[in-house]
Amino acid sequence: ASRVMVASRNYADFASEATFEIKKCDLHRLEEGPGTTTVMTREEGLHYYKKMQTIRRMELKSDQLYKQKIIRGFCHLYDGQEACCVGLEVAIKPTDHVITAYRVHGFTYIRGVPIREILAELTGRKGGCAKGKGGSMHMYTKNFYGGNGIVGAQVPLGAGIALACKYFNKNEVCLTLYGDGAANQGQIFETFNMAALWKLPCVFICENNRYGMGTSVERAAASTDYYKRGDFIPGLRVDGMDVLCVREATKFATEYCRSGKGPIVMELQTYRYHGHSMSDPGISYRTREEIQEVRSKSDPITLLKDRMVNSNLASIEELKEIDVAVRKEIEEAAQFATTDPEPPVEDLGNHIFFNEPPFEVRGPNQWIRYKSVS
Amino acid sequence: MAMAAGLGLRGVRASGAAVSVAVRTRGDGLWSRLTTAPTVTRRFAAHFAFQPDPAPSAYGQTQKMNLFQSITSALDNALAKDPTAVIFGEDVAFGGVFRCTVGLRDKYGKDRVFNTPLCEQGIVGFGIGVAVAGSTAIAEIQFADYIFPAFDQIVNEAAKYRYRSGDLFNCGSLTIRAPWGCVGHGALYHSQSPEAFFAHCPGIKVVIPRSPLQAKGLLLSCIEDKNPCIFFEPKILYRAAVEQVPVEPYNIPLSQAEVLQTGSDVTLVAWGTQVHVIKEVAALAQEKLGVSCEVIDLRTILPWDTETVCKLVLMEFS
Repeated sequence: ASRVMVASRNYADFASEATFEIKKCDLHRLEEGPGTTTVMTREEGLHYYKKMQTIRRMELKSDQLYKQKIIRGFCHLYDGQEACCVGLEVAIKPTDHVITAYRVHGFTYIRGVPIREILAELTGRKGGCAKGKGGSMHMYTKNFYGGNGIVGAQVPLGAGIALACKYFNKNEVCLTLYGDGAANQGQIFETFNMAALWKLPCVFICENNRYGMGTSVERAAASTDYYKRGDFIPGLRVDGMDVLCVREATKFATEYCRSGKGPIVMELQTYRYHGHSMSDPGISYRTREEIQEVRSKSDPITLLKDRMVNSNLASIEELKEIDVAVRKEIEEAAQFATTDPEPPVEDLGNHIFFNEPPFEVRGPNQWIRYKSVS
Repeated sequence: MAMAAGLGLRGVRASGAAVSVAVRTRGDGLWSRLTTAPTVTRRFAAHFAFQPDPAPSAYGQTQKMNLFQSITSALDNALAKDPTAVIFGEDVAFGGVFRCTVGLRDKYGKDRVFNTPLCEQGIVGFGIGVAVAGSTAIAEIQFADYIFPAFDQIVNEAAKYRYRSGDLFNCGSLTIRAPWGCVGHGALYHSQSPEAFFAHCPGIKVVIPRSPLQAKGLLLSCIEDKNPCIFFEPKILYRAAVEQVPVEPYNIPLSQAEVLQTGSDVTLVAWGTQVHVIKEVAALAQEKLGVSCEVIDLRTILPWDTETVCKLVLMEFS
C-alpha cells in the first residue's frame, strides 16, 4: 500500500475495486449456492466500514450509558454481529421488509433511523423513534417491523408480511430473523409449514450466535444445523462475520424468493461480544479466551479493514478518519439523548386503540383517568 | 397513588396488582386528592416497605431466608420427600435466573433437575405428560409474561383432564411456577400479572404468596395438591423480603384467605406485593383519617375464599 498524506490525498492511488474470496456456504436441498468469489468496490467498502463502525460505536456508547444508569430497563447489544445487518441491508432494497427479535439497534440504524433517535429511544426521551414508549426492544421504522420482545413471536408475523408482499405483487420479500434459542419454539415450525405450503417470499434467517441467553446451542438443540431445520425448505449456512459472504448469500436467497420458488432458510454463524443483555456479564457460560479469540480472528470490522487495506482499496489513515467522524456523530447523538426531555405523563394512555373520539383509561387507581388519543 | 400522595406519603406508588377498595367518600378534599393524577415523574425507589411476619414457633427451627431461598427450601423438601418429583424449565440447572433452584441439581442429580429448550408450550405440555404418568412435575416458566404460549395447554389440557376422562386420568401432580408482577424496570415483558386470565378456568388453582414464610408453605401445598396449580412468585420480593422461615416442610392450606388486620369501616383485599402497600395504606388511613381498615391477603386466587371475604364485608354493613 502506498503512503499518502492526509491533507493532499490522491484518490487515483487506490484501486477502484477488488475481488475477494468468500467461504463456501453449506447447502440443504439446493443444487447450487452463492459463488465463492465476489467483487467489492472502494465505495462499497467504505460504506460498509462506516456503517459497521457506527453500529459498533453506538452499541459501546449504549453500554456506557447503561452503566451510568442513563439507560435503564433492558438493553441487548449487537456488537460482534454488525456484518449480519449490514450485509443483509446492502443486498436488499429499501422497499423490502425486515422483522427481527429484540437485538435490534443495528437493524434500526441500518434501516434508516438516525442514531440520535435510537439513543433517545434507549434513554426513554420523546425524541426517540417510538416516542420514548418502546425502549431498547421496540424500535420500528418504514418497512422495519421491529423490535419484538417475545422470543419467536415475530416469525409468524414475518410470514404474514411475506404473504402481503406476494399479494400486492410488487416483487418484495420479507426477511424474518430469529435466534438460535428461538429456533426451538413451536411457532417457527408452524410458520415454515405455512410459508412452504403457500410459497411465500419469506427469507427465514437464523442469527446463530452460539448462545441462547446462557445456554449453548449444543445444550439446547437436538440438531444445531439450523439451516436444515426447515426440512422441506431449502437452506444455506453462511459465515456471519464476513459482510461480503452475508451480502452474496442474501442476494442469492432473495433472488430465490423473488423468482417465486417459495421460502428459504439462511443460518448466519455469528457471535456477540456482550452478554445476552446488559445484566448478563457474558462470561459465566463461556470463557473470556473464547471471546478474545473471536475478537482477534473473526471480528467483522477488522476483517473488512484488513481486506481493504491489503487490496489497496483504502488506507489506514482514511479508515481512521472515518472512525473519528463516527465517534463524533455518536457523541452528538448521545448528547441529544441525554438532554432531550422525557415524554409527558399524558402520553401514557395514548395509542392503545385506534379510536375517535378519545376515551379514558384508568390510571394508578380507579379515579385517575388518562385520555387515550391516537 | 394519588390517595397516598394526597395523604402526604411521598414514596408510595401503585404497583400492578389488583386492589378492590370499598370506600364511603367524605365531603372534604379527599375526593379532589384522590382524583388528581400525580404530575411528578421522579423515579422512586421501591414503592413500599416489606413487612415481615413474626417467626412461627409451630414448625421447628427457623432460618433467615429471602423469597428465593424459601422457594429453594420448599423445592428441596419436596424433592426429598417425593422420589418421583422432578424440576424442569429454562436455565433451572445452574440455579435459575432468580436463583430459586440453586444447589438442587447437585443434590438430586441431573435426572431430576434439568433444563428444557426455549419452548413454553412444550414445557407445560411435557409437564402435563409427566404428571399424568404418575410423577410429580414442577415446571418453571421463566417469567409469567411468557406463559401465554402455554395458555392452551394449561386451560384446555391440564385444567380439564380429570373432568373429560371421568376421573380416569389426571395431572394433579403438576405445579407451574413463574416469577410474577412489576419490578420497576421490567416494562412490557418482565412485569406482567396474568392471574386474571387464569382466574376463570375451573380445574386449576392459582396461588400468589406475599412473603417467604407464606411462599414455602403455599408452594408445598401446591405440589402436594391433587390439582394442577400455578404458583406466581412476586419477583420484586425475591431479595427484598427476608423473614425467619422454618427449615422443615410445612403446609399452608389453599383457598384460605388470611385476615392480617381487623377493622370496622373498610375491607381491603390484596395479594402478592400489593399486600405490603395495603398494610401501609391501612396504617395511614387510621392515622390520618381515623378509618379502621380490615386487611385481607387472598393468597389463593382460584378458587378464592369467598366465605371469609364476604363474611367480613357483610360485618361492616351490619
